[in-house]
Amino acid sequence: MALLGGAIFSFSPTVWAASCCGGGSASSLIMPKISEAMIDASVDMEFYNGYWDADGNYHEDPQGSDLRQYRLNFGYAHRLASRWQASVILPYVWNRSEYAGISSNTEGVGDTTLNLFYEAFDGIKCVWKVRNWEDLIPAVYYGMSLTVPTGISPYDDVDNSFDVTGRGFYRVDGTVLLDKTIYPWNASLLLSYGKYLERDVNRKYGQYVEPYKQQLGDRFLQTYTLGYTSFLENMSTVTYSLAYSYLQEEAGEIDGQPDPTTKMEKQSHAATVAYANMNRDWVFKFTWSHAQAKDGWGKNFPVTDVYTIGVSHVLR
Amino acid sequence: MYYARTIGIALVFILGLAGCGGGLDTDVFDDMNPSGEDKRPAVVAGSEGTQVGQVSPDFTLQDTLSVSHTLSNELAGTSAVVIYFTMWCPICDSHMSNMRTDIIPDFPNATFYLVDYVSGSISVSRSEQLSNGYSNLDVLVDTDLTLYNRYQASMGTTIVIDSTGVVRMNEDYNNSRLRAVLSAL
Repeated sequence: MALLGGAIFSFSPTVWAASCCGGGSASSLIMPKISEAMIDASVDMEFYNGYWDADGNYHEDPQGSDLRQYRLNFGYAHRLASRWQASVILPYVWNRSEYAGISSNTEGVGDTTLNLFYEAFDGIKCVWKVRNWEDLIPAVYYGMSLTVPTGISPYDDVDNSFDVTGRGFYRVDGTVLLDKTIYPWNASLLLSYGKYLERDVNRKYGQYVEPYKQQLGDRFLQTYTLGYTSFLENMSTVTYSLAYSYLQEEAGEIDGQPDPTTKMEKQSHAATVAYANMNRDWVFKFTWSHAQAKDGWGKNFPVTDVYTIGVSHVLR
Repeated sequence: MYYARTIGIALVFILGLAGCGGGLDTDVFDDMNPSGEDKRPAVVAGSEGTQVGQVSPDFTLQDTLSVSHTLSNELAGTSAVVIYFTMWCPICDSHMSNMRTDIIPDFPNATFYLVDYVSGSISVSRSEQLSNGYSNLDVLVDTDLTLYNRYQASMGTTIVIDSTGVVRMNEDYNNSRLRAVLSAL
């Protein structure tokens, strides 16, 4: 079931949109090396299909449930220097949920993400043929991200988890992204470690409570992607990618005491098709991210399918 | 110039959209600068009510086996009655699972109930209880939301009522606070 916090956890796997060595990732919005700026817009349609309990057992939602979340994501990336780029992503969220007699039709801004990336390379790292060992060196990005709780969270005036559009916590993430393209193949690895900042809480699900301090557990995300690029007659490209992601959050703390109820895990797979025009300045993407509605594929988290349609425009 | 214009258009669009949906209300800023101020309503200790320090009004609900439970009867012979409002969601499950494994075994003299306020009937509630794996906990069925409204509850609200009928806790599930409240009785 929804917990629409699920949305806040959700991620799109790295999408290498056929723009050499950095077509963009919906989760971190990385633009290509030779570009000054990039605008990205995407629509996520997330459909909920039961959940995994704390032991990893899958449970269906109650009969008649229909839980959805739609997100419109705006992103803008800007080159600060030859090796530095910064970006901002702002989602707008619609919750459309029917659950055991409860209806939720809320909307609002989601949590905003600010990113700063350093590119540990100068030249293009995509090659057609491996001629020497240097051709095997991947493009490496180091990133820092700050999630700003601009969304509506459980600590606001909401009735339940269906109504939220954000997590309610600041979070700082460190990210390493390795990407290698030897045409027509591409592989990438994204590792991200996040730490939430402790916050005061005096209200939960609309009800004022005895104040306490809460901190969510550390967050770890790893995504492995394998892609294949086809060149069309006019030199535009279509890239097909498959990805596997593993997301984990440790137990949090309330007033310094362990709070195991927020500990979670999620595994998912994703398939992406991306079209890039000849100039590689327009990229159209479609991603289907799927979580297995079976025991053992997650813990304490909703099972969802996410369909994402997006477009990126690179400004050179 | 071109970039600045593009950024400007995007920002105007985003802020306009947010404003239309009411997204940029005070809640947004509450989270960006959260408060630790105690805003619970002041109550007169010992008066009848559902806030901490007040004496809980009596109630009767049926469980999923159609057995009636009355608070005043349940309080006799127990250190406390604990009720948890569930909608059988993942967050509720994590709370209930934690309560079952970490709290209930340590407080054998307390009586624990889940209150199902979403199923609307005893049969549906029984089905949810079994499918979610909570056959070993008593589930009270709040078919007409009487208890839910009386306690101004929401998803995950946890109430502790001591043997004298006084409300000792009324807030979202918090395992360390629940343990502390029960230990103090």
